[in-house]
Amino acid sequence: MRRPDGQAKVRGEFSYAGDLHAEGMLHGVTLRSPHPHARLLRIDTAAARALPGVHAVLTAADVPGDLHFGLTLRDEPVLADGVVRYAGEPVAVVAAIDPRTARRAARAIVVEYEPLPAQTDPTLAADAEPLHAEGNVYRHLAYECGDPRARGVVTVENTYRIGMQDPAFLAPEAGMATPTADGGVRLEVATQWLHSDQRQIAWATGLPPEKVQVVLAGVGGAFGGREDVTLHTHACLLALATGRPVKMEYTREESFLAHRQRHPGTIWLRHSADASGRVVSVEGRVVLDGGAYASTSPVVIANTVTLLQGPYRVDNGRFEGWSVRTNNPSCGAMRGFGVPQAAFAHESQMDALAAALDLDPLEIRLRNALRRGDTATFGQRFTQPTPVREVIEGLRAVPLPPAGGKLPGGVGRASSPGSVRRGVGYAVTMKNLAFSEGHVDESTATVSLRDGHATVHCACAEVGQGFVTVAEQVARTVLGADTVTVTQPDTLIASAGSTSASRQTMASGTAVHRACVAVRDRLLARVARERGLDAGLLSIQDGAVTCDGTPLVDVAAATPGHTVRATEHFAHPPTTALGQGDVYVGFAFSAQRAVVDVDVELGLVSVVQIASCQDVGTVVNPTQLLGQIEGGIVQGMGLAVMEEVVVVDGHITNPEFQDYLIPTIVDAPEVVSVYVTDPQPGMPHGWKGVGEPPLCTAVPAVAAAVRDATGLPLPSVPIRPEHIALGIGTPPTVTRTTPRPPATTGGTALSEEPADRPGTWESEGAAGH
Amino acid sequence: MSSEADESVTFSLTVDGAAHEVTAPWSESLLTVLRERLGVRGPKTGCAHGRCGACAVRVAFEPDRADDDGHVLCSCLLPAATAAGCSVRTIASIGGPDGELSDVQEAFLAEGAVQCGICTAGFVTAATELLDTDPDPTREQIEAALYGNLCRCTGYGRIVAAVETAARTRREATP
Ligand code: FES
Ligand code: FES
Repeated sequence: MRRPDGQAKVRGEFSYAGDLHAEGMLHGVTLRSPHPHARLLRIDTAAARALPGVHAVLTAADVPGDLHFGLTLRDEPVLADGVVRYAGEPVAVVAAIDPRTARRAARAIVVEYEPLPAQTDPTLAADAEPLHAEGNVYRHLAYECGDPRARGVVTVENTYRIGMQDPAFLAPEAGMATPTADGGVRLEVATQWLHSDQRQIAWATGLPPEKVQVVLAGVGGAFGGREDVTLHTHACLLALATGRPVKMEYTREESFLAHRQRHPGTIWLRHSADASGRVVSVEGRVVLDGGAYASTSPVVIANTVTLLQGPYRVDNGRFEGWSVRTNNPSCGAMRGFGVPQAAFAHESQMDALAAALDLDPLEIRLRNALRRGDTATFGQRFTQPTPVREVIEGLRAVPLPPAGGKLPGGVGRASSPGSVRRGVGYAVTMKNLAFSEGHVDESTATVSLRDGHATVHCACAEVGQGFVTVAEQVARTVLGADTVTVTQPDTLIASAGSTSASRQTMASGTAVHRACVAVRDRLLARVARERGLDAGLLSIQDGAVTCDGTPLVDVAAATPGHTVRATEHFAHPPTTALGQGDVYVGFAFSAQRAVVDVDVELGLVSVVQIASCQDVGTVVNPTQLLGQIEGGIVQGMGLAVMEEVVVVDGHITNPEFQDYLIPTIVDAPEVVSVYVTDPQPGMPHGWKGVGEPPLCTAVPAVAAAVRDATGLPLPSVPIRPEHIALGIGTPPTVTRTTPRPPATTGGTALSEEPADRPGTWESEGAAGH
Repeated sequence: MSSEADESVTFSLTVDGAAHEVTAPWSESLLTVLRERLGVRGPKTGCAHGRCGACAVRVAFEPDRADDDGHVLCSCLLPAATAAGCSVRTIASIGGPDGELSDVQEAFLAEGAVQCGICTAGFVTAATELLDTDPDPTREQIEAALYGNLCRCTGYGRIVAAVETAARTRREATP
């Protein structure tokens, strides 16, 4: 089935947030701090207010409600309050008759700063002077299982670094707020999570939530970067202050400054294995730089730390992590949510172990593959399908591409064939699906059917992933509807949660499915009543109501003029806090093989092919599934070899596509995608989330292939040309150890106190203890 | 703060077949003129710096010459005044008035080359020019023609497939 919004999109007629327009609307712009850390001594807005065409200039003093917001801790001011904590932090907002006038007014605002020393090193931040009343540690967690001191015959350890990645959705942030007759405000905005926006806007405006209406405007990509509030509250405050519609639209540069990035991180890992390659113990420590405000940092760190084991059985280990506050850009959700960092580190380690034991990289992974019934290091049992062996075997069956093809360097910088080496690398990952650690994962949908036309209402944000296709497909299949309308999501219906965590097909897809089933049953009951038939014999097939298999009447003509409606809710079984049971709703597994050509002299990489075998539950829509796999792989490849938000002394030095390179059509590899289908229990058709695993796996797979081509350790991503050309990066420390069986077995124990300091692993190295 | 860049000029411009008189600061981009002054919102703003192709339009600088079929360029980079007298064709000129799709549009839809779609108008515009010039492009020629267009959602695989499908359709339609 084709995308229902596809016709308008290929014709250029689909309306995006940036296309919003209203009679008499004003334009809002934001004045941002040029300093990563400074005291605000004085703000004078008089000159800006006096400019003709300026309707409002707002600072923290003009925020009527609670100044602070945030997805976890409420630690971020809507507008800077006495101190700025990152370069780009909003200080004031302006509404004026056109963007030019608004920008001029913003420049006319006088702000006196007293620059303060910027804390930009996350390994020092935890112990340093607090940058905020809430402290510098967003979250510390530590736990053990089995006997972390158990050893096999070989122990490898290394420290891995992952750079900051920008979601870089192609349509910069935009939205338009309009005052409503009841004294409230209506915001049309490109977002991932309407009800979260509504709640946070209500805090700042002081309005009851029901007077803040959020409506989804056309979204040009998201990838996690629209999970947090950016211009949402500002536009609403300006609309309420001026009584006019106010539109805000960021430039690309502002977009880099304003939204949350993927956490850069440092991960130390030590794996010990027996002679057969079975992992005996794993120890790991993580520091993620959360930047100036919390966003989802307390949640992301749990993903990174708990998934350090990868899709392997690990009985003995200790794991610890911090996400910390610095004066760097704020980090939060991005596709993969802490897992790409873990995946890069654990897969690098598996290759190091394989090399130390002279084992095939797939063989060592097969020997350690998790199976259904195993228990995770964090205490959860894998009770659902756990097809790790299956994805590895599925991948192994894909033939390698032929030699040759385009040389690295793309358009412009050509390589000479003599210095090009081919490399092949593998990676296998585990990604948790849906919300975790006790956060309720739920959605609600209302479906109505009249004369064969179905209408689906759900607050699930369509950001490009194709929820509208799934919703329509379900309504057609279950109800036999001829035509389907998926209405624009809004806050008039209950929350569908965020379009993130690979969760919307599972949560909102299932809510829609349940509502469709309820509508179908009501329709059939009515037909049965009217015709004196047994409802149990009736069903819907191919657009017709059938009785015991014989068509009775078309769905469109079954109950003329009568509307059948149902609202249904879906929630996953509840999850628990770490260490108390099922922390996660479920998992998906993925294996990839990357083939690269590397110019070892120039350090240029061409990713030739990525083969993927993913555990997808069931194939709902083959085209959209492939689109998620290919899109995720190319973003992961970007993180592996191209993309990094470069932050120097708290300033982003490359907030433009000119210097922040996202993969182009020339960089993109050929993708071969095969699937393991093992239906997810409790889901209609056994479907499960598919959006994040491809990215998580592509990062380590590409890095492994480049290592294979170059023979270099390459412990950091993105791998830069100079890393290859100059051989930068420390190899893992390999120690032959005396085997020590675990003294204790089983159990996951949380520790309250930090076992170590975040900065200590530079001196690590005594692999044996 | 007034500068030369702010000085307004008046010029004529043909957009999707309709003639317009435009008065705008001379440095204002064609993209801004199209979107903000003329309400033509098919071309999108992805970067405003010529790096993403979301704003691609096809401009004929000498529309009266029969052989000037126009070239695709980034409308965000072109000061609109330098396009005075030009004929600009946006995504609205591709496909029929009543919702008919061109072969390229049809292929983008059929092959799943559209996710969020913010890049789509630019890709369709660039791919259309490619096939107008060369109905049988190689993979390398497709990449060279679409290198200036970024897509963050699809990973490009379905986009290449769409262009190849459109080329095949076009070759089959013109024996
Ligand atoms: S808007 Fe990106 S190239 Fe014009
Ligand atoms: S479809 Fe979203 S950027 Fe291309």
